[in-house]
Amino acid sequence: MANALFYLMALLSVASALGVVLAKNPIQCVLSLLGSFFCLATIYLLAGFQFIAAAQILVYGGAIMVLFLFVIMLLNLGDPGTADKTDARMFSRPNVAAVVVVAALLLGVAVYAVKLSPVVHAAQELPERGIDTVHGLAGEMFGRYLLPFEAVSLLLLATAIAVVVLAKRERSPKRGAKS
Amino acid sequence: MIAWQDLLVMVLKIALIFGGLINVGALMTLAERKFSAWMQYRIGPNRVGPWGLLQPLADGVKFIFKESLMPDGANKALFRFAPVIAALPAFMTIAVIPFSNDIVIAGKNYGKLAIADLDIGVLFLLAIGGLSVYGVILGGWASNSKFSLMGGLRASAQMISYELTLILTILAVIALSGTLNLAEISDGQATIGTWNIWSQPLGFMLFVIAMFAETNRHPFDFAECEAELVAGFHTEYSAMKFALFFLGEYSAMTVISCLATVLFLGGPSVPFWVDAPWYVGFGAFIAKTSMFLFLFIWVRWTLPRFRFDQLMGLGWKVMLPLALFNLFVTGVFVSLGWNLWAKLGSLI
Repeated sequence: MANALFYLMALLSVASALGVVLAKNPIQCVLSLLGSFFCLATIYLLAGFQFIAAAQILVYGGAIMVLFLFVIMLLNLGDPGTADKTDARMFSRPNVAAVVVVAALLLGVAVYAVKLSPVVHAAQELPERGIDTVHGLAGEMFGRYLLPFEAVSLLLLATAIAVVVLAKRERSPKRGAKS
Repeated sequence: MIAWQDLLVMVLKIALIFGGLINVGALMTLAERKFSAWMQYRIGPNRVGPWGLLQPLADGVKFIFKESLMPDGANKALFRFAPVIAALPAFMTIAVIPFSNDIVIAGKNYGKLAIADLDIGVLFLLAIGGLSVYGVILGGWASNSKFSLMGGLRASAQMISYELTLILTILAVIALSGTLNLAEISDGQATIGTWNIWSQPLGFMLFVIAMFAETNRHPFDFAECEAELVAGFHTEYSAMKFALFFLGEYSAMTVISCLATVLFLGGPSVPFWVDAPWYVGFGAFIAKTSMFLFLFIWVRWTLPRFRFDQLMGLGWKVMLPLALFNLFVTGVFVSLGWNLWAKLGSLI
């Protein structure tokens, strides 16, 4: 049962991920991405990681995708019909061949990385409480991995500030020119 | 194997909670009209049944027999899907609310009146509840109408802004009770002195304000805004699709009132009666939730609507800093172990 559900969800998530790239209407792209996130959250649940599943839906489903939709609606991209002309070229033989080769390479790298990854081998030596509950996860995150966790949050903060600075700098010369 | 008695108890609980939610949604439409009439010196609906009690039923039948319109140029699939996704989250999230203490009938313990006792109950509620904004946005966009689109855009901006405050105030409660399980949170407030409203007065106020914005109710109902946007995101909707939006709004109000009861008012705890039987506790829960539901109606017919920039200013410049401050102070108290309120609670 759980296995069947896993394969179904994996298939659906890949299908909706393809939908993100192939759909012509940007709103449909966003909705496909949302569907993909949901399938991933279900897979996390099947693996017993309740917190990560909830966080996935809360952060990506509830907040980030809403912002995506918001921006797309504001941009008003209009008639998607203009994209049709490129379609014939998109699926030409060299392009498809290139995509297949790159995908195969990526898959190989991914499989190799998973095989080498310390995470897979460390699965047996996880703390006795495990990281599937909130308590266990918090204990690990704010105990053993506190420093990396804080470093990542600082990195994210720096990125956010950098984005604001970059976005502001573009505008200020115009204002100066006017006044 | 699950014994068939357990299964029967589970099915009964689901039927009771789910049926209760839908009926409260229907009754709220009547209550809204009755109370608004009362506040405006009118009589309100009084033709269908005694005190107009059958009015929601009559409305339901009317909605079913109305013509369902599809606007020109609408995205058909999304137009049909949006009301469903607007109503679904409220129906899903009611599952984690614990309505009573352990039900004991003839010496046998049937557990709490709750469908699911999740360890991540609060997170589940927030995650699924946050999805209700899609119904409003997609409904607004798929209608192919400028009024609808404006309503949808406003709703998305508003709900994201106020969700932050809502989550931060809930985080402070979680920090106090040390668990994400709603049943354990309400268990931790068994006596009136330990209710979180005393230790989180600021958090409670922020939660109540954000609650109005999250459910798109007056004075924050910018998704509808009938004075300028006709009816906002559901301008183009008719018949049962419109009724689903309506049901979704009232169900969301009910769920968030239940959440406020669990988080701040001790859930099923009865003031000054610690070992009250479960049905008294259940009654207390219903009474507290009804109080919040009445507040929704009371505010709607009392206050005028904000301006949109005022709404955003309030959300980002006042409520968010206050919520952060509240969380910070709570964090300091918790980490230093100053449990002043538990001492006070033991006195009562």
